[in-house]
Amino acid sequence: MLKYTVQRLIQAVIAIFGVLTIVFVVMHLSGDPTLLLVPQDASAEMIAELRRQLGFDRPIWIQYLDYLYGLAQLDFGMSVVQRVPAFAIVASRIPYTVQLAAGALVVAIGVGIPAGIIMATMRGSAIERFLAAVVVTGQSVPTFLSAILLIFIFGVTLRWLPTSGAGEFRAMIMPSIALGALSMSTFARMTRIAIIDELSKDYVRAGLARGLSLGETVFRHVLRNASIPVITIAALEIGNLLAGAVIIETVFAWPGIGQLAIQSIQARDFLVVQVIVLLISFVYVLTSVLADLVYVVVDPRIRLVR
Amino acid sequence: MKLKLATVAAVVLGLMASAAFAQTKETLTIDLPNDAATLDPHLQWNTDSYTVYRNIFDNLLTRDTSGKIVPQIATEWKYDGDKTIIFKIRDDVTFQDGSKLTAEDVAFSMNRIIDPALKSPQLSQFDQIEKAEVVDPTTVKVTTKSPYPALLAQLVKLSIVPKSYVEKVGDQDFNLKPMGSGPYKMVEWKKGIQTELEANDKYWRGNPPFKKVVFRAVPDVSTRIADLKTGKADLIREVPPDQASAIESDSNTKLLAGETERVGYLYINAEAGPTKDVRVRQAIAYAIDKQGLVDALLEGYGKPVNVVGAEPIFGYTETVEGYPFDPEKAAQLIKEAGAEGATVEFLTSPSYPRALVEAIQQMVNEVGLNVTISSSDQATFLKRRQGDAENAGGMAFGAWSCACQDADGIIFPLFRSGSIWAKYKNEKYDALVDEARIILDEQKRKELYAQAYEILREDVPGLGLYQVYALYGVSKNLQWQPTANEAMFVMDMSWQQ
Repeated sequence: MLKYTVQRLIQAVIAIFGVLTIVFVVMHLSGDPTLLLVPQDASAEMIAELRRQLGFDRPIWIQYLDYLYGLAQLDFGMSVVQRVPAFAIVASRIPYTVQLAAGALVVAIGVGIPAGIIMATMRGSAIERFLAAVVVTGQSVPTFLSAILLIFIFGVTLRWLPTSGAGEFRAMIMPSIALGALSMSTFARMTRIAIIDELSKDYVRAGLARGLSLGETVFRHVLRNASIPVITIAALEIGNLLAGAVIIETVFAWPGIGQLAIQSIQARDFLVVQVIVLLISFVYVLTSVLADLVYVVVDPRIRLVR
Repeated sequence: MKLKLATVAAVVLGLMASAAFAQTKETLTIDLPNDAATLDPHLQWNTDSYTVYRNIFDNLLTRDTSGKIVPQIATEWKYDGDKTIIFKIRDDVTFQDGSKLTAEDVAFSMNRIIDPALKSPQLSQFDQIEKAEVVDPTTVKVTTKSPYPALLAQLVKLSIVPKSYVEKVGDQDFNLKPMGSGPYKMVEWKKGIQTELEANDKYWRGNPPFKKVVFRAVPDVSTRIADLKTGKADLIREVPPDQASAIESDSNTKLLAGETERVGYLYINAEAGPTKDVRVRQAIAYAIDKQGLVDALLEGYGKPVNVVGAEPIFGYTETVEGYPFDPEKAAQLIKEAGAEGATVEFLTSPSYPRALVEAIQQMVNEVGLNVTISSSDQATFLKRRQGDAENAGGMAFGAWSCACQDADGIIFPLFRSGSIWAKYKNEKYDALVDEARIILDEQKRKELYAQAYEILREDVPGLGLYQVYALYGVSKNLQWQPTANEAMFVMDMSWQQ
């Protein structure tokens, strides 16, 4: 177990380092922020001067070493656009991203897993067909459309919910639904398949033959066995939700990491982008390691060795 | 039961009536596409940033509604020789912390923005200033490197910051907790979300119209419009023309269109590719139906122009004739140049309206060229557009404003050879705009620009398309007159029930 965890962590550090390097090189090769910062009528000398002041005239490998040197001392650098430490900018957005991801996860799991269970156990019924339609809708309506539809219906027409912003619980409802819809469908489908898979196994038939009701069998025995693939999906989905929902955040003016990422990339605010990349790769690695550990708890037959 | 209902109805009616009689509005909420990048007025220069910070600070000079440069912190000014200008400073202005605004602060503000250590992106607008010196507490002497007629127009953009406060807290904290002499004080800046300002009760120009002003960052235009319609916002910026009717048709909102100094123009590469031939460039000019673009794509919110410049700028001239829409003549010129079917690359980025770019592509294709659109992100676009002529594409659309209302801020950077935007060289033209840049005689300058515009008409290194109208959606109760320089001073607004 310990050996496994250490191995996974070493892999993770290498992966994160690789991602940072790739992003650094790609961002720097595609230009720097100087041209975006100066007023339109700036002369070539003025631009060169600002570029020199900001340090973007140095060879890329020197900038890279400089960046790593800072990183080694946990100095993430300053945003050239906002003139504020890059880490502080990203950190101020984390609570909003976590809030929204949590809201979306509540929608996804709260609706998706029960829907999956019902669809697996009540096959052929009208309820199943209705839920199947809901799942397909959640999966196929693009988020920019569902977000705008939600705003139009519940914000502008009915005036039940605020149209944008963050800070109050009511403002969280629409973005959570819009963001959670796709995950909800994934959970519903995975749960349904996993349960149907288990229902055809001998132990279920034996249980039913001994007189257990279907409901009892599902809740006592099947769910636990069917949860392994669902946990795997959950780990990936949490990663996706935390990595930022660019479109949802933009439409609802939700100040999370996704919106910050897209704005920083467009503004070539390198150091802010680097912090975000670092954070997102960290979240992905962490959730997948956690999922591995949860497997062991849920199913003691699994051993983490290689 | 009936009685109860009647009581409830009476109470509700009473509440509604008292709400309707409330005359003053406490908080004005403004939706901007982005949060301010910095609130230090000497750092970032982009519309969302200066929309916020210019309400916190006063400027040395300002413009009245007609666009004339008028006093703000400076009361009067006069030239002493052609490189020195003496400003008299008001002596009744205090900063928001109660300290007095003096000539020290004015000189400090100028010297700060031109100091390379600040790394200000605005340096290029002020780099003609050599130094600012305090003569006495109400007098500042400014020296320029050469005679510089655009100085006053540039100084309209200079915010006055408090010397002792900036020196005390340092540059980094000053950006986070800005303090000026303007009508509003900063209360809280939630980065990426909103900036909250509060009225400065001791403001020297009188009481600000609202107790509080909140600038929110709402990137999506549909959401900004939804905010306006539900009353979550009272004023929204950057309404695209195709959404204008959605705001006009709502009885709670209205649309304000400001005729700006910004000009929509087409750059045409005069140094490389098929457009190197002047006949091809003239053909493109004849091929474009400006009125058609304005009517079809801007819903009429724009005005065709004859030159690369709009009416509110100094140096604008009506004497130069614009190119009429004449596709036959265009096709003939293409034929003469032997450029039929030649490929012209049209550079663009998501910052520019795609429909407009495609409409121009279509119009130019119809007279015999083969226009291909290359879209990249803004940083890459600028790198190519401002780089070598060989790699700078054949044409590109742009919407230019120097926020200085002077031809010097438009056609000098766009077409003077050696400038990063210019893919064009004409010594006669260079001489004209160079001279207009260093003389102070207004009549002479106007004549020089008229001649320069005539040369541009002949050579077509660029083509003026239309004057841009800035569209704002506002609550029907908000009274405000948008200005040509796209400034948004809350002090100029009022609320009428």
